[in-house]
Amino acid sequence: MSFIDVKEEMLCTRNLGKEFNGVWVLNDISINLKKGEIHSIVGENGAGKSTFIKILSGVYAPSKGEIIINRKKVKFNNVKESEQLGIRTVHQEINLIPFFNVMENIFIGEELEKKVMTINILDKKKSAEKAKEALDTLGVELDLNKYVHKLDMSMRRIVQICKVLVGKYEVIIFDEPTTALGSSERRRLLEVIMNLKKQDVGIIFISHNIDEVLEISDRITVFRDGENMGTMLKEEATARKIVSKMIGHKSYSNFTREPVTDKDKVIFEAKDLNTERLKNINFKVYKGEVVGIAGIVGAGKTEIARAIFGIDGVESGEFYINGDRYKPKPRNSVKKGIALVPEERQEQGLVLNMDVKKNISLAYLDQFGRSNVIDFEAEKNTAEKLIEYLKIKTTGPFQIVKYLSGGNQQKVVIGRWLSGDFSLGIFDEPTKGIDIKAKEDIYHQIDMLAHKGKGIIFISSFLPELINVTDRIIVMKNGKIVGEFDPRQNTETEIMIAMLGGNNSE
Amino acid sequence: MNNERNKTIRWTEVLRKYGTVIGTIIMFIIFSLVVDRFFTFGNLFMLLRQMSMLTIIACGFTFVMAAGGFDMSIGNVTGLVSMIFTIVLVSTSNFLLSFLIAIVVGLSVGLINAMLVAYINLPDFIGTFAVGSIAYGIKMLLTKGNPIFIKNPPEIFTFIGQGYVGAVPFPVILMLAFLIISIFILHKTKLGRRIYAIGGNTVASVYAGINVKWYRMITFLVSGLSVSLAAIIMTSRLNSGQPLAGENFLLDVIAAVFLSTTMFGEGEPNAMGSFVGALIISMLNNGLTMLNVPYYFQYITKGMVVIAAVMLAVVMGQKLRVKF
Repeated sequence: MSFIDVKEEMLCTRNLGKEFNGVWVLNDISINLKKGEIHSIVGENGAGKSTFIKILSGVYAPSKGEIIINRKKVKFNNVKESEQLGIRTVHQEINLIPFFNVMENIFIGEELEKKVMTINILDKKKSAEKAKEALDTLGVELDLNKYVHKLDMSMRRIVQICKVLVGKYEVIIFDEPTTALGSSERRRLLEVIMNLKKQDVGIIFISHNIDEVLEISDRITVFRDGENMGTMLKEEATARKIVSKMIGHKSYSNFTREPVTDKDKVIFEAKDLNTERLKNINFKVYKGEVVGIAGIVGAGKTEIARAIFGIDGVESGEFYINGDRYKPKPRNSVKKGIALVPEERQEQGLVLNMDVKKNISLAYLDQFGRSNVIDFEAEKNTAEKLIEYLKIKTTGPFQIVKYLSGGNQQKVVIGRWLSGDFSLGIFDEPTKGIDIKAKEDIYHQIDMLAHKGKGIIFISSFLPELINVTDRIIVMKNGKIVGEFDPRQNTETEIMIAMLGGNNSE
Repeated sequence: MNNERNKTIRWTEVLRKYGTVIGTIIMFIIFSLVVDRFFTFGNLFMLLRQMSMLTIIACGFTFVMAAGGFDMSIGNVTGLVSMIFTIVLVSTSNFLLSFLIAIVVGLSVGLINAMLVAYINLPDFIGTFAVGSIAYGIKMLLTKGNPIFIKNPPEIFTFIGQGYVGAVPFPVILMLAFLIISIFILHKTKLGRRIYAIGGNTVASVYAGINVKWYRMITFLVSGLSVSLAAIIMTSRLNSGQPLAGENFLLDVIAAVFLSTTMFGEGEPNAMGSFVGALIISMLNNGLTMLNVPYYFQYITKGMVVIAAVMLAVVMGQKLRVKF
């Protein structure tokens, strides 16, 4: 009923879809946007939100479907053409030049010029006027001469929005604009977006934070696996309704395992851990236990792994492994029995130009040969055993790692730690971007390690796998632990609500 | 069909790994045919003796570059070590003392480079270039730019640069020893493996628990040591401390080590390759001189060789790992 609105429909998509290598990452998306409306799009990572934005902003051409702007079918071949029609995107990454002032940043690439004796020079007066106008639209007071590096994150975001406002705009897409903002900064930014709404701008708002979505949206559309799961009006939407539409996956492993936790023996403990990004982290990992760490991107999951292993410095905190306090420095952490399978296997895990055996022996190289000379025979044998054990698809220990597939590269990183003896294994997104078979092999490995009495921390932004594989799930948000769940008791919806905001967002 | 494809792949593989070596041999043959008295026992030994210092420094530089670093100080530091070595030798007539001090000076410069670059994180180019400039200033300060001649040099001093063991010049033996030890350390030991891992992927090395700063420091110490050794040989050959001697080493060494990345392996610097690279550069120097090509053309040729070596390295598909 209320879909027949008096307000004019300015943007609409019909059966929009995008295909990559035969896979439809976005399929049959039909949504519309009215003047002065905030239309939120929510969904898990990989649900297709970014692809959708990229099509609207002209980065990708759609594989099917059409885009209609002001009742006219349009097609754009690049970002410029989309921008000329007034579709503007405020990207998640803030690309400003820190040592330029606010005004200079607003006009980067679009500098206003005037002619003085046939030479084009910057028109500062006109620039200042236009910039002031943009700030007024947003209802923000800001000194145009201030250097951007002196601004807080919300103000930088506002400068980024001003860049859009000094050009042509009818529809503004906000891609997770509140990421990394504190609560008062977040407040200010939401107000700015509300002000834009009052000026009859159509707004597409992408966010992981359900609270703010519920607060500012007029309508909310949920994406899942590249499909539109339905649009709700603000009045009928609740956190539970949204989350239950978000979860549930087309195809997923039905791997399960039995708990082997020995609650009498603590393998690892972190006490009052604080870093730049983490606040008051306390948790234990028991012998044979697989602890999951869940949270959206930017919640601080990886930062926990990095702090425990000693990649980043910590402000305060005590760390214990097998009851001994240790100082987190990579070299020391390895010695004390911590293994880390990092998030980015190519950047952080592997020496791509080295062969399989050299990558496997890298962390526990000291065990190959008593003196400083490497025992090549032992190294090769270990690599061969692990290749067979982990079912790594390779021509052998001498193959250069960069020629392996993602899943097999990940197995090489895991094999590296299996070649030695560790107590705590940290797996940071170990199944990212690898096929289902390799994923199950890795779950199986984690189960085997738990059986061997090791403590495991399994970090993932993909909740279903944490529910299948772990014994306990710690949920993180904004650098804090906001909840602990038993995956065998609690439902995916409950955990997801904790991840996305529920009712305790700062 | 399939077989044929395999064959071409194997051929490109051979060319990729040994192309530069084949090129060196061709160049050697051409020089032998074109240049009178090039292919004589005397000249070949002279060539080897000339290249001994270059090879030793190139081996040290190979350590630095294998760990992804760069050392711009080598040229000026060679001169500095040579001058300090001469001054101590002339004033004390104690060879052992002056020898030890020369080694300590080279190692100290390596340590300073390492502190600036590995620990304080200055970009390699800037940090080591500045240290080279300071070294230049100090050697000029010590000598006012004048050479110091060594009267009545001790026998052992003269032997290092000018002596023979059988028919083989002693510097050549030193060079081979340094080369073999470098190859051994880089390819057979845990130290070498970790150095290559750091050069291959510094971040991944940190995540594997390797103490990156420590190993990078070692590479700069090896570089400093190699400079000391080369400076001692040079001083002995010249029988004097020449403040400006050794300044050409920088470009020659860079050329040699970049050439090494085009040989034998997956595109990483390696000591054997640096030896072949030093041979190419020395052959150019030697052959072109014998052809009476003016020295400025030699500079042009060497510059082009460096560009060709770096381009070859890039074309062969690896990125240059040096940080600016």
